[in-house]
Amino acid sequence: MTLSRRWMARIGAAMFAAALLYPLIALLARIGPWQWDAQVRATTLSSIQVSLLLTAYAMLVIVALGTPVAAYIARCGTRERLFWQALLLIPILLPPLALGILLTLAFGPYGSLGAWLQHYGVATTNSATAFVVTQVYVGMGYYVLGAVAAFDAVPRMLEKQAALLGLTPTQVFWRVTLPLSRLGLAVALSIAWVRTIGEFGAVVVTAYYPSGMPVQLWVNLQSFGLPAVMPLLVAFLAVALPLPWLFHVLAQRQRHAQG
Amino acid sequence: MLKAEITKARREFLIRVSLSLEEGSAVGLFGASGAGKSTILACIAGIEEPDEGYIELNGVKLFPPPLPLHKRPIGYLTQEPALFPHLSVSENVCFGVPRNEEKRYRDWIATLREKLQLAPLWNAPASQLSGGQARRVGLARMLAPQPQLVLLDEPFAGLDRQHVRELIDDLVLWNQTMRFTMIAVDHQAEVLKRLCPRQAMVLECGQIVQSGTWSELCSAPATPSLRSLLAPL
Repeated sequence: MTLSRRWMARIGAAMFAAALLYPLIALLARIGPWQWDAQVRATTLSSIQVSLLLTAYAMLVIVALGTPVAAYIARCGTRERLFWQALLLIPILLPPLALGILLTLAFGPYGSLGAWLQHYGVATTNSATAFVVTQVYVGMGYYVLGAVAAFDAVPRMLEKQAALLGLTPTQVFWRVTLPLSRLGLAVALSIAWVRTIGEFGAVVVTAYYPSGMPVQLWVNLQSFGLPAVMPLLVAFLAVALPLPWLFHVLAQRQRHAQG
Repeated sequence: MLKAEITKARREFLIRVSLSLEEGSAVGLFGASGAGKSTILACIAGIEEPDEGYIELNGVKLFPPPLPLHKRPIGYLTQEPALFPHLSVSENVCFGVPRNEEKRYRDWIATLREKLQLAPLWNAPASQLSGGQARRVGLARMLAPQPQLVLLDEPFAGLDRQHVRELIDDLVLWNQTMRFTMIAVDHQAEVLKRLCPRQAMVLECGQIVQSGTWSELCSAPATPSLRSLLAPL
Protein backbone atom coordinates (compact mmCIF):
# COMPACT_ATOMS: atom_id res chain seq x y z
CA MET A 1 0.00 0.00 0.00
CA THR A 2 2.82 2.32 1.02
CA LEU A 3 4.74 1.34 -2.10
CA SER A 4 1.85 2.05 -4.44
CA ARG A 5 1.31 5.39 -2.74
CA ARG A 6 4.93 6.25 -3.32
CA TRP A 7 4.57 5.31 -6.99
CA MET A 8 1.46 7.43 -7.29
CA ALA A 9 3.41 10.35 -5.85
CA ARG A 10 6.24 9.69 -8.29
CA ILE A 11 3.89 9.60 -11.26
CA GLY A 12 2.26 12.81 -10.08
CA ALA A 13 5.68 14.48 -9.75
CA ALA A 14 6.70 13.23 -13.20
CA MET A 15 3.53 14.69 -14.73
CA PHE A 16 4.25 17.98 -13.01
CA ALA A 17 7.81 17.97 -14.41
CA ALA A 18 6.53 17.16 -17.90
CA ALA A 19 4.07 20.07 -17.73
CA LEU A 20 6.84 22.34 -16.52
CA LEU A 21 9.15 21.40 -19.39
CA TYR A 22 6.38 21.24 -22.00
CA PRO A 23 7.11 24.72 -23.48
CA LEU A 24 10.57 23.47 -24.54
CA ILE A 25 8.87 20.97 -26.85
CA ALA A 26 7.73 23.99 -28.84
CA LEU A 27 11.26 24.10 -30.25
CA LEU A 28 10.14 21.12 -32.36
CA ALA A 29 6.89 22.77 -33.43
CA ARG A 30 5.98 22.42 -37.10
CA ILE A 31 6.34 25.97 -38.30
CA GLY A 32 8.09 25.18 -41.55
CA PRO A 33 11.82 25.61 -42.29
CA TRP A 34 13.67 28.02 -40.01
CA GLN A 35 14.66 31.24 -41.73
CA TRP A 36 18.43 31.80 -41.80
CA ASP A 37 19.02 34.03 -44.83
CA ALA A 38 21.61 36.78 -44.98
CA GLN A 39 19.30 39.43 -43.59
CA VAL A 40 18.29 37.40 -40.54
CA ARG A 41 21.80 35.95 -40.03
CA ALA A 42 23.55 39.32 -39.84
CA THR A 43 21.19 40.85 -37.29
CA THR A 44 20.97 37.62 -35.28
CA LEU A 45 24.75 37.21 -34.98
CA SER A 46 25.17 40.88 -34.19
CA SER A 47 22.55 40.71 -31.42
CA ILE A 48 24.25 37.66 -29.88
CA GLN A 49 27.54 39.54 -29.88
CA VAL A 50 25.94 42.64 -28.36
CA SER A 51 24.16 40.68 -25.65
CA LEU A 52 27.15 38.56 -24.64
CA LEU A 53 29.67 41.39 -24.64
CA LEU A 54 27.57 44.08 -22.99
CA THR A 55 26.02 41.73 -20.45
CA ALA A 56 29.56 40.60 -19.54
CA TYR A 57 30.48 44.25 -18.94
CA ALA A 58 27.35 44.72 -16.86
CA MET A 59 28.26 41.63 -14.82
CA LEU A 60 31.72 43.03 -14.14
CA VAL A 61 30.17 46.25 -12.84
CA ILE A 62 27.59 44.33 -10.80
CA VAL A 63 30.24 42.09 -9.18
CA ALA A 64 32.70 44.93 -8.57
CA LEU A 65 30.10 47.17 -6.91
CA GLY A 66 27.70 44.58 -5.55
CA THR A 67 30.13 42.27 -3.74
CA PRO A 68 31.49 44.83 -1.25
CA VAL A 69 27.98 46.19 -0.72
CA ALA A 70 26.68 42.67 -0.04
CA ALA A 71 29.58 42.00 2.36
CA TYR A 72 28.70 45.22 4.16
CA ILE A 73 24.98 44.41 4.37
CA ALA A 74 25.71 40.91 5.64
CA ARG A 75 27.51 42.48 8.65
CA CYS A 76 24.81 45.11 9.34
CA GLY A 77 22.46 45.08 12.30
CA THR A 78 18.91 43.89 11.73
CA ARG A 79 17.37 47.34 11.23
CA GLU A 80 19.96 48.59 8.76
CA ARG A 81 19.85 45.29 6.89
CA LEU A 82 16.08 45.56 6.51
CA PHE A 83 16.53 49.05 5.10
CA TRP A 84 19.06 47.85 2.50
CA GLN A 85 16.98 44.84 1.56
CA ALA A 86 13.92 47.03 1.07
CA LEU A 87 15.99 49.38 -1.07
CA LEU A 88 17.35 46.57 -3.24
CA LEU A 89 13.87 45.24 -3.82
CA ILE A 90 12.82 48.46 -5.56
CA PRO A 91 14.58 47.85 -8.91
CA ILE A 92 13.57 44.18 -8.69
CA LEU A 93 9.89 44.95 -8.18
CA LEU A 94 9.66 47.84 -10.62
CA PRO A 95 7.84 46.78 -13.79
CA PRO A 96 10.59 46.55 -16.46
CA LEU A 97 8.93 49.04 -18.78
CA ALA A 98 8.55 51.54 -15.95
CA LEU A 99 12.21 51.06 -15.02
CA GLY A 100 13.20 51.70 -18.64
CA ILE A 101 11.19 54.94 -18.76
CA LEU A 102 12.58 56.08 -15.40
CA LEU A 103 16.13 55.37 -16.55
CA THR A 104 15.54 57.27 -19.79
CA LEU A 105 14.21 60.25 -17.86
CA ALA A 106 17.02 60.10 -15.31
CA PHE A 107 19.94 59.47 -17.63
CA GLY A 108 18.52 60.81 -20.90
CA PRO A 109 18.79 64.35 -22.19
CA TYR A 110 15.79 65.44 -20.06
CA GLY A 111 17.65 64.98 -16.79
CA SER A 112 20.50 67.16 -15.61
CA LEU A 113 22.85 64.19 -15.21
CA GLY A 114 22.02 62.92 -18.70
CA ALA A 115 22.46 66.38 -20.19
CA TRP A 116 25.78 66.76 -18.41
CA LEU A 117 26.97 63.36 -19.65
CA GLN A 118 25.88 64.13 -23.20
CA HIS A 119 27.75 67.41 -23.00
CA TYR A 120 30.89 65.32 -22.45
CA GLY A 121 30.04 63.00 -25.34
CA VAL A 122 28.55 60.10 -23.36
CA ALA A 123 25.39 58.98 -25.15
CA THR A 124 22.95 57.84 -22.49
CA THR A 125 20.21 56.52 -24.73
CA ASN A 126 20.40 54.04 -27.58
CA SER A 127 24.06 53.30 -26.92
CA ALA A 128 26.22 50.59 -25.44
CA THR A 129 26.50 52.70 -22.28
CA ALA A 130 22.72 52.90 -21.96
CA PHE A 131 22.49 49.14 -22.53
CA VAL A 132 25.03 48.37 -19.78
CA VAL A 133 23.59 50.91 -17.33
CA THR A 134 20.11 49.44 -17.79
CA GLN A 135 21.37 45.92 -17.26
CA VAL A 136 23.24 46.97 -14.13
CA TYR A 137 20.02 48.42 -12.70
CA VAL A 138 18.10 45.31 -13.67
CA GLY A 139 20.58 42.79 -12.26
CA MET A 140 22.13 44.53 -9.26
CA GLY A 141 19.34 43.79 -6.78
CA TYR A 142 19.27 40.10 -7.69
CA TYR A 143 23.03 39.76 -7.31
CA VAL A 144 23.36 41.70 -4.07
CA LEU A 145 20.48 39.92 -2.32
CA GLY A 146 21.88 36.55 -3.44
CA ALA A 147 25.39 37.54 -2.35
CA VAL A 148 24.12 38.65 1.07
CA ALA A 149 22.55 35.21 1.51
CA ALA A 150 25.84 33.59 0.43
CA PHE A 151 27.83 35.62 2.97
CA ASP A 152 25.23 34.91 5.65
CA ALA A 153 25.84 31.20 5.19
CA VAL A 154 29.48 31.55 6.28
CA PRO A 155 29.65 30.89 10.05
CA ARG A 156 30.79 34.06 11.85
CA MET A 157 32.90 32.01 14.23
CA LEU A 158 35.14 30.92 11.35
CA GLU A 159 35.82 34.52 10.44
CA LYS A 160 36.51 35.42 14.07
CA GLN A 161 38.85 32.47 14.46
CA ALA A 162 40.70 33.53 11.32
CA ALA A 163 41.03 37.06 12.74
CA LEU A 164 42.31 35.70 16.06
CA LEU A 165 44.90 33.77 14.06
CA GLY A 166 46.26 37.10 12.89
CA LEU A 167 44.44 37.79 9.63
CA THR A 168 43.32 41.32 8.85
CA PRO A 169 39.66 41.79 7.83
CA THR A 170 40.68 41.91 4.16
CA GLN A 171 42.67 38.69 4.49
CA VAL A 172 39.76 37.04 6.29
CA PHE A 173 37.51 38.01 3.39
CA TRP A 174 39.83 36.57 0.74
CA ARG A 175 40.94 33.45 2.61
CA VAL A 176 37.75 32.45 4.47
CA THR A 177 34.60 34.35 3.52
CA LEU A 178 35.04 34.30 -0.24
CA PRO A 179 36.08 30.63 -0.63
CA LEU A 180 33.22 29.51 1.60
CA SER A 181 30.63 31.63 -0.18
CA ARG A 182 31.86 31.19 -3.75
CA LEU A 183 29.15 28.80 -4.85
CA GLY A 184 26.44 31.02 -3.38
CA LEU A 185 28.00 33.99 -5.15
CA ALA A 186 28.08 32.03 -8.39
CA VAL A 187 24.38 31.26 -7.99
CA ALA A 188 23.66 34.95 -7.31
CA LEU A 189 25.70 35.95 -10.34
CA SER A 190 24.01 33.40 -12.55
CA ILE A 191 20.57 34.67 -11.53
CA ALA A 192 21.67 38.22 -12.29
CA TRP A 193 23.11 37.02 -15.61
CA VAL A 194 19.95 35.26 -16.76
CA ARG A 195 17.81 38.16 -15.59
CA THR A 196 19.86 40.82 -17.36
CA ILE A 197 20.62 39.00 -20.59
CA GLY A 198 16.91 38.28 -20.93
CA GLU A 199 15.76 41.80 -20.07
CA PHE A 200 13.46 43.24 -22.70
CA GLY A 201 11.06 45.77 -21.17
CA ALA A 202 13.63 48.20 -19.78
CA VAL A 203 16.21 47.75 -22.54
CA VAL A 204 13.74 48.29 -25.37
CA VAL A 205 13.12 51.79 -23.98
CA THR A 206 16.68 52.80 -23.11
CA ALA A 207 18.71 50.95 -25.75
CA TYR A 208 16.73 49.82 -28.74
CA TYR A 209 20.07 50.13 -30.46
CA PRO A 210 22.43 48.33 -30.22
CA SER A 211 19.90 45.49 -30.27
CA GLY A 212 20.59 42.64 -27.93
CA MET A 213 18.99 39.23 -28.25
CA PRO A 214 15.62 39.98 -26.60
CA VAL A 215 15.03 43.10 -28.70
CA GLN A 216 16.20 41.31 -31.85
CA LEU A 217 13.87 38.40 -31.12
CA TRP A 218 10.98 40.82 -30.95
CA VAL A 219 12.11 42.61 -34.15
CA ASN A 220 12.48 39.30 -35.99
CA LEU A 221 9.07 38.19 -34.78
CA GLN A 222 7.47 41.42 -35.93
CA SER A 223 9.32 41.62 -39.27
CA PHE A 224 9.65 38.03 -40.44
CA GLY A 225 7.49 35.81 -38.21
CA LEU A 226 8.24 32.69 -36.20
CA PRO A 227 10.66 30.89 -38.61
CA ALA A 228 13.09 33.80 -38.32
CA VAL A 229 12.90 33.74 -34.53
CA MET A 230 13.82 30.09 -33.99
CA PRO A 231 17.62 30.19 -34.57
CA LEU A 232 18.01 33.17 -32.25
CA LEU A 233 15.68 31.56 -29.70
CA VAL A 234 17.90 28.47 -29.59
CA ALA A 235 21.00 30.65 -29.18
CA PHE A 236 19.22 32.68 -26.51
CA LEU A 237 18.37 29.59 -24.50
CA ALA A 238 21.89 28.21 -24.94
CA VAL A 239 23.57 31.28 -23.42
CA ALA A 240 20.97 32.01 -20.77
CA LEU A 241 20.08 28.63 -19.34
CA PRO A 242 23.01 26.21 -18.82
CA LEU A 243 25.24 28.27 -16.54
CA PRO A 244 22.63 29.21 -13.93
CA TRP A 245 21.20 25.72 -14.09
CA LEU A 246 24.62 24.15 -13.44
CA PHE A 247 25.43 26.50 -10.53
CA HIS A 248 22.07 25.80 -8.92
CA VAL A 249 22.52 22.06 -9.22
CA LEU A 250 26.05 22.30 -7.75
CA ALA A 251 24.83 24.52 -4.91
CA GLN A 252 22.03 22.08 -4.08
CA ARG A 253 24.53 19.20 -4.11
CA GLN A 254 26.85 21.05 -1.76
CA ARG A 255 23.96 21.88 0.56
CA HIS A 256 22.98 18.21 0.69
CA ALA A 257 26.58 17.13 1.27
CA GLN A 258 26.91 19.57 4.18
CA GLY A 259 23.52 18.67 5.58
CA MET B 1 50.81 39.17 32.55
CA LEU B 2 47.05 39.38 32.14
CA LYS B 3 45.17 42.02 34.09
CA ALA B 4 41.48 42.42 33.61
CA GLU B 5 38.35 43.81 35.15
CA ILE B 6 35.28 42.81 33.24
CA THR B 7 31.72 43.96 33.73
CA LYS B 8 29.11 42.56 31.42
CA ALA B 9 25.37 42.54 31.86
CA ARG B 10 23.56 39.36 31.06
CA ARG B 11 19.85 38.80 31.11
CA GLU B 12 19.90 36.90 34.40
CA PHE B 13 22.76 38.60 36.27
CA LEU B 14 25.71 40.96 36.04
CA ILE B 15 29.13 39.48 35.38
CA ARG B 16 31.77 41.33 37.36
CA VAL B 17 35.22 39.76 37.69
CA SER B 18 38.75 40.88 38.34
CA LEU B 19 41.69 38.80 37.10
CA SER B 20 45.42 39.10 37.53
CA LEU B 21 47.50 36.28 36.10
CA GLU B 22 51.26 35.93 35.95
CA GLU B 23 52.87 35.10 32.62
CA GLY B 24 52.96 31.35 32.12
CA SER B 25 50.33 30.62 34.74
CA ALA B 26 47.40 28.29 34.18
CA VAL B 27 44.05 29.01 35.78
CA GLY B 28 40.95 26.88 35.77
CA LEU B 29 37.72 28.86 35.73
CA PHE B 30 35.23 26.53 37.32
CA GLY B 31 31.51 26.76 37.81
CA ALA B 32 28.13 25.41 36.86
CA SER B 33 26.81 25.77 33.32
CA GLY B 34 25.52 29.27 32.73
CA ALA B 35 27.66 30.91 35.42
CA GLY B 36 29.25 33.27 32.89
CA LYS B 37 32.57 31.46 32.35
CA SER B 38 32.38 31.40 28.55
CA THR B 39 31.33 35.05 28.43
CA ILE B 40 34.47 36.02 30.35
CA LEU B 41 36.66 34.11 27.90
CA ALA B 42 34.79 35.60 24.94
CA CYS B 43 35.36 39.10 26.36
CA ILE B 44 39.08 38.48 26.78
CA ALA B 45 39.31 36.98 23.28
CA GLY B 46 37.42 39.93 21.80
CA ILE B 47 34.50 37.87 20.50
CA GLU B 48 32.27 39.83 22.90
CA GLU B 49 32.77 43.30 24.29
CA PRO B 50 32.62 44.07 28.02
CA ASP B 51 30.25 46.82 29.11
CA GLU B 52 32.89 48.28 31.39
CA GLY B 53 36.36 47.54 32.69
CA TYR B 54 39.73 46.95 31.08
CA ILE B 55 41.81 44.08 29.76
CA GLU B 56 45.57 44.25 29.43
CA LEU B 57 47.92 41.51 28.26
CA ASN B 58 51.67 41.89 28.72
CA GLY B 59 51.38 45.66 28.66
CA VAL B 60 49.13 45.75 25.57
CA LYS B 61 45.67 47.17 26.15
CA LEU B 62 43.02 44.89 24.67
CA PHE B 63 40.08 46.93 25.99
CA PRO B 64 39.05 49.76 25.96
CA PRO B 65 39.01 50.56 23.11
CA PRO B 66 38.62 47.05 21.75
CA LEU B 67 41.82 45.97 20.01
CA PRO B 68 41.02 44.37 16.62
CA LEU B 69 41.00 40.58 16.81
CA HIS B 70 43.93 40.16 14.43
CA LYS B 71 46.19 42.20 16.73
CA ARG B 72 45.49 40.06 19.79
CA PRO B 73 48.15 37.42 20.52
CA ILE B 74 45.46 35.05 21.75
CA GLY B 75 44.59 31.46 20.99
CA TYR B 76 40.94 30.61 21.56
CA LEU B 77 39.59 27.09 21.39
CA THR B 78 35.95 26.31 21.94
CA GLN B 79 33.83 23.18 22.04
CA GLU B 80 33.35 23.60 18.29
CA PRO B 81 36.87 23.72 16.85
CA ALA B 82 35.59 25.81 13.91
CA LEU B 83 38.01 24.38 11.37
CA PHE B 84 38.07 25.90 7.91
CA PRO B 85 36.17 23.25 5.93
CA HIS B 86 37.59 24.30 2.56
CA LEU B 87 41.16 23.64 3.69
CA SER B 88 43.17 20.52 4.47
CA VAL B 89 44.41 19.65 7.95
CA SER B 90 47.89 20.99 7.20
CA GLU B 91 46.47 24.23 5.80
CA ASN B 92 44.32 24.62 8.90
CA VAL B 93 47.25 24.05 11.23
CA CYS B 94 49.52 26.49 9.37
CA PHE B 95 46.74 29.06 8.84
CA GLY B 96 47.92 31.47 11.52
CA VAL B 97 51.63 31.15 10.82
CA PRO B 98 52.88 34.37 9.22
CA ARG B 99 53.52 33.73 5.54
CA ASN B 100 57.09 34.97 5.50
CA GLU B 101 58.07 33.18 8.69
CA GLU B 102 57.25 29.57 7.84
CA LYS B 103 60.87 28.49 8.34
CA ARG B 104 60.96 29.79 11.89
CA TYR B 105 57.86 27.75 12.76
CA ARG B 106 58.79 24.58 10.88
CA ASP B 107 60.10 22.62 13.89
CA TRP B 108 57.22 23.72 16.07
CA ILE B 109 54.66 22.64 13.48
CA ALA B 110 56.44 19.30 13.18
CA THR B 111 56.25 18.90 16.96
CA LEU B 112 52.52 19.66 16.98
CA ARG B 113 51.96 17.27 14.11
CA GLU B 114 53.77 14.47 15.91
CA LYS B 115 52.49 15.02 19.45
CA LEU B 116 48.88 15.47 18.36
CA GLN B 117 49.11 12.48 16.00
CA LEU B 118 48.14 14.47 12.95
CA ALA B 119 50.55 12.85 10.46
CA PRO B 120 48.02 10.35 9.04
CA LEU B 121 45.48 13.16 8.59
CA TRP B 122 47.88 15.81 7.33
CA ASN B 123 46.52 16.08 3.80
CA ALA B 124 42.92 15.13 4.57
CA PRO B 125 40.14 17.68 4.08
CA ALA B 126 39.17 19.23 7.40
CA SER B 127 35.51 18.71 6.56
CA GLN B 128 35.90 14.93 6.82
CA LEU B 129 37.35 14.62 10.30
CA SER B 130 35.72 13.00 13.32
CA GLY B 131 35.00 15.09 16.41
CA GLY B 132 38.15 14.00 18.24
CA GLN B 133 40.36 14.51 15.20
CA ALA B 134 38.89 17.96 14.59
CA ARG B 135 39.58 18.90 18.22
CA ARG B 136 43.24 17.88 17.84
CA VAL B 137 43.56 19.89 14.64
CA GLY B 138 41.87 22.87 16.33
CA LEU B 139 44.35 22.66 19.18
CA ALA B 140 47.30 22.49 16.78
CA ARG B 141 45.97 25.43 14.77
CA MET B 142 45.52 27.51 17.90
CA LEU B 143 49.02 26.77 19.19
CA ALA B 144 50.85 27.04 15.85
CA PRO B 145 51.33 30.84 15.92
CA GLN B 146 52.58 30.55 19.55
CA PRO B 147 50.03 32.80 21.24
CA GLN B 148 50.87 34.57 24.50
CA LEU B 149 47.50 33.72 25.98
CA VAL B 150 45.54 30.51 25.48
CA LEU B 151 41.82 30.43 26.21
CA LEU B 152 40.11 27.06 26.36
CA ASP B 153 36.33 26.96 26.52
CA GLU B 154 35.37 23.37 27.31
CA PRO B 155 37.50 22.11 24.44
CA PHE B 156 37.31 18.48 25.52
CA ALA B 157 33.55 18.13 25.85
CA GLY B 158 32.32 14.97 24.24
CA LEU B 159 35.75 13.36 23.85
CA ASP B 160 36.63 9.99 25.36
CA ARG B 161 38.74 9.99 28.52
CA GLN B 162 41.85 8.58 26.88
CA HIS B 163 41.87 11.41 24.31
CA VAL B 164 41.20 14.02 26.98
CA ARG B 165 44.10 12.77 29.13
CA GLU B 166 46.52 12.85 26.20
CA LEU B 167 45.47 16.32 25.06
CA ILE B 168 45.64 17.72 28.59
CA ASP B 169 49.11 16.27 29.18
CA ASP B 170 50.35 17.85 25.94
CA LEU B 171 48.85 21.20 26.88
CA VAL B 172 50.34 21.13 30.38
CA LEU B 173 53.76 20.33 28.93
CA TRP B 174 53.57 23.17 26.39
CA ASN B 175 52.25 25.57 29.00
CA GLN B 176 55.38 24.86 31.08
CA THR B 177 57.87 24.92 28.20
CA MET B 178 56.45 27.77 26.12
CA ARG B 179 55.31 29.89 29.05
CA PHE B 180 51.99 30.99 27.57
CA THR B 181 49.33 32.04 30.01
CA MET B 182 46.32 29.76 30.02
CA ILE B 183 42.73 30.10 31.19
CA ALA B 184 40.59 27.02 30.89
CA VAL B 185 36.88 26.83 31.44
CA ASP B 186 34.99 23.68 32.25
CA HIS B 187 32.20 22.48 34.44
CA GLN B 188 34.03 19.24 35.16
CA ALA B 189 36.45 19.65 38.04
CA GLU B 190 38.57 16.64 37.12
CA VAL B 191 39.42 18.12 33.71
CA LEU B 192 40.49 21.43 35.22
CA LYS B 193 42.40 19.80 38.07
CA ARG B 194 44.59 18.01 35.56
CA LEU B 195 44.89 20.96 33.18
CA CYS B 196 45.45 23.73 35.74
CA PRO B 197 46.58 21.87 38.84
CA ARG B 198 47.79 24.90 40.81
CA GLN B 199 45.15 27.59 40.51
CA ALA B 200 41.39 27.67 40.25
CA MET B 201 38.68 30.28 40.36
CA VAL B 202 35.06 29.51 41.01
CA LEU B 203 32.37 31.50 39.28
CA GLU B 204 28.75 31.67 40.39
CA CYS B 205 26.20 33.96 38.74
CA GLY B 206 28.94 36.11 37.24
CA GLN B 207 30.96 36.60 40.45
CA ILE B 208 34.15 34.89 41.58
CA VAL B 209 33.14 33.31 44.87
CA GLN B 210 36.39 31.56 45.65
CA SER B 211 39.91 31.24 44.28
CA GLY B 212 42.90 29.22 45.38
CA THR B 213 44.40 25.79 44.94
CA TRP B 214 42.23 22.78 44.22
CA SER B 215 42.94 21.31 47.64
CA GLU B 216 41.71 24.54 49.26
CA LEU B 217 38.57 24.46 47.17
CA CYS B 218 37.90 20.83 47.94
CA SER B 219 38.60 21.10 51.65
CA ALA B 220 36.58 24.27 52.24
CA PRO B 221 34.17 25.07 49.43
CA ALA B 222 32.82 28.60 49.83
CA THR B 223 29.26 27.90 48.77
CA PRO B 224 26.82 24.98 48.92
CA SER B 225 26.65 25.03 45.14
CA LEU B 226 30.41 24.59 44.86
CA ARG B 227 30.32 21.79 47.42
CA SER B 228 27.72 20.07 45.28
CA LEU B 229 29.77 20.57 42.10
CA LEU B 230 32.89 19.10 43.69
CA ALA B 231 31.11 16.13 45.24
CA PRO B 232 31.72 12.78 43.53
CA LEU B 233 28.83 11.37 41.50
